[in-house]
Amino acid sequence: MASEDHEFTMLFQDFYPSLCRFLECLLGGRAPLAQDLAQESFLQLHRTAWGTLPPDEARFWLYRVARNLAINEFRKSNTRYRLFDRVVEAMRPVARNPEQEYETRERKQMVLEMLQTLPEDQRTALLLREQEQLSYREIGEVMNVSESKVKVDIFRARASLRERWAKRAKTAGASAS
Amino acid sequence: MSCSFTEKISSLIDGELATAEAREVERHVLTCGECAQVKADFLNLRSEIAGFESSLQPTVQNRALKKILSRGERATAHGWQWGWSTSAIAFASLLLVGAIIGLILYQTSRSNDRHPNTIAEVPSSTPVPTPEQTPTKEEKEQQPATPKQANPPAPSKKAPSREPRPGEQFAAIPNRQTPDRETPNPEAPERIRSADSETLTAIHFERSETLLRAFRNVRLNTREGAADVAYERKRAKQLVLQNMILRREADANGDVQSASLLENLEPILLDIANLPDKPDANAVRTIRERVERKNIVPLLQINSAALARALD
Repeated sequence: MASEDHEFTMLFQDFYPSLCRFLECLLGGRAPLAQDLAQESFLQLHRTAWGTLPPDEARFWLYRVARNLAINEFRKSNTRYRLFDRVVEAMRPVARNPEQEYETRERKQMVLEMLQTLPEDQRTALLLREQEQLSYREIGEVMNVSESKVKVDIFRARASLRERWAKRAKTAGASAS
Repeated sequence: MSCSFTEKISSLIDGELATAEAREVERHVLTCGECAQVKADFLNLRSEIAGFESSLQPTVQNRALKKILSRGERATAHGWQWGWSTSAIAFASLLLVGAIIGLILYQTSRSNDRHPNTIAEVPSSTPVPTPEQTPTKEEKEQQPATPKQANPPAPSKKAPSREPRPGEQFAAIPNRQTPDRETPNPEAPERIRSADSETLTAIHFERSETLLRAFRNVRLNTREGAADVAYERKRAKQLVLQNMILRREADANGDVQSASLLENLEPILLDIANLPDKPDANAVRTIRERVERKNIVPLLQINSAALARALD
C-alpha cells in the first residue's frame, strides 16, 4: 500500500502542474478553479481507477476527466467563481519585480483571451498538442474522437489564432503610432 | 492562406506526416513565401502557448496531494486499507526501529545475566572463588581479562579499551560484561536502519530500469529527424535527485554494490534529463549505446530483485 501511494505521489508530482496549466488555459484563466478541478481529477483517479489502469494510460485518463470537468463548469453559472477569483487575486502577495510580473501577466492574459475565441474542442486539441506534446492519436484517445478530426481541429485553431494575432499586432501598431 | 500546402504545414510541425510527404512539404516551404510565413507564425504560436506558466504555488500542490491521499483513505471500501503519507511512513519506521532496539536491549540484558557463570569457570591466574564464596557482580567485574575475551570492557569506572561497534554500545553499560562473540546480534540495529534505504534503493532501481527501457524504445525515425523524449526527461530529472541521495546513503552504509551501480547510473540519468526538447537522434543513440555498454538494465534488474529478496 505504501508503494502504491508512492507511485501515485510520483504521478501527481509529474502531472499535477501541467494539468493545472491545461485547465487554466481551457477555462480562460481562473487558476483557483483550475487547481480545484485538477485536484478533483486526481482524487477520482485515486478513488476509482488507480491500480487498475496501466501506468501509461493514467495520464490520458486524467486529461479526459479534467476536460469533462471543465466542460461541466462551462455549463454552470460562473458568477460566484469570478468573484472568488478576484478575491484570491487581490490577496496575492505583491511581486518583487512588479514590472516583470505585469508583463508576464499581460502576456498570459493575451494567450488566454486568444484561446477563449476558439471552440472548446479546437482549444483542447491545440493545448494537448502544444503544451503536453501528445500525438494526434493520443489526443484522439483523450477526446474520444478520430485522428483526422484532431488534425483538422488543430489546423483550424492555429489558422484562427494566427489571423487574430496578426490583427492584434496591427491594432497595437496603429495605436502606438 | 491561399496555398494548398498550408494545411499540411500544421501536420509537418507536429511530426505527423509520412517521411516522403514531409520532405515534399519542406521543399515547398523553401520556395513558397506564404507557407514559410505560415510555418513561422505557427511555431511562434506554439512557443506562446507552451510558454504559458501556470499560477500554481508549491504549497497549493502539496496541500492538494495531502487532501487526495487523506480522502482516498476514507473513501476506500475496507477500513484496513490505509493511505500512508511519506511522513507517516517515516514515523512508523522510527517506531519500529525503536521497538526493535528495545527488544535487543532486553535480550542483551537477559543474556548478560548468564555471563558471570562463564567467567567464573575459566582458569586463570586470578583468584578462584572458593566454593563457599558466591562471587558478587562487583567482584567478577574486578577480575582481569579471560582468554575468551579479546577486549573486554573494564569495570564501570573505566571506558572500554576500544570504540564499540554499532550495536555493541550496550556493552559499555555499567555492571555488565559482554564478550564480543556473545553480544546478541550486534548488527541488528544497523540492519534495521539500512532496511529503509534498501527498500528505497530497490524501488529506485526498478524505476530507473523502467525509464531506461522506455528510453530504449523511443522512436527515432520521426519526420523532423528528432526524438520526442519529454516524458523520459521529466522522469530522469526526478530520478537523478533520488539517485544522489541513495548513493550517499549507500556510501555511508558501506553498501559497495549499490553505491557502485548508483554511481554508474547517475551520469546516464543526468544526460537524459539534460537532453533538449527535441533532441537529435544521434544524441539519443549515444546515450543508448552507453546504457548497453555498461549493461545497466540487467544490473538494475538483478540488484532490485536481490534487494527485494534480502528484505523478505
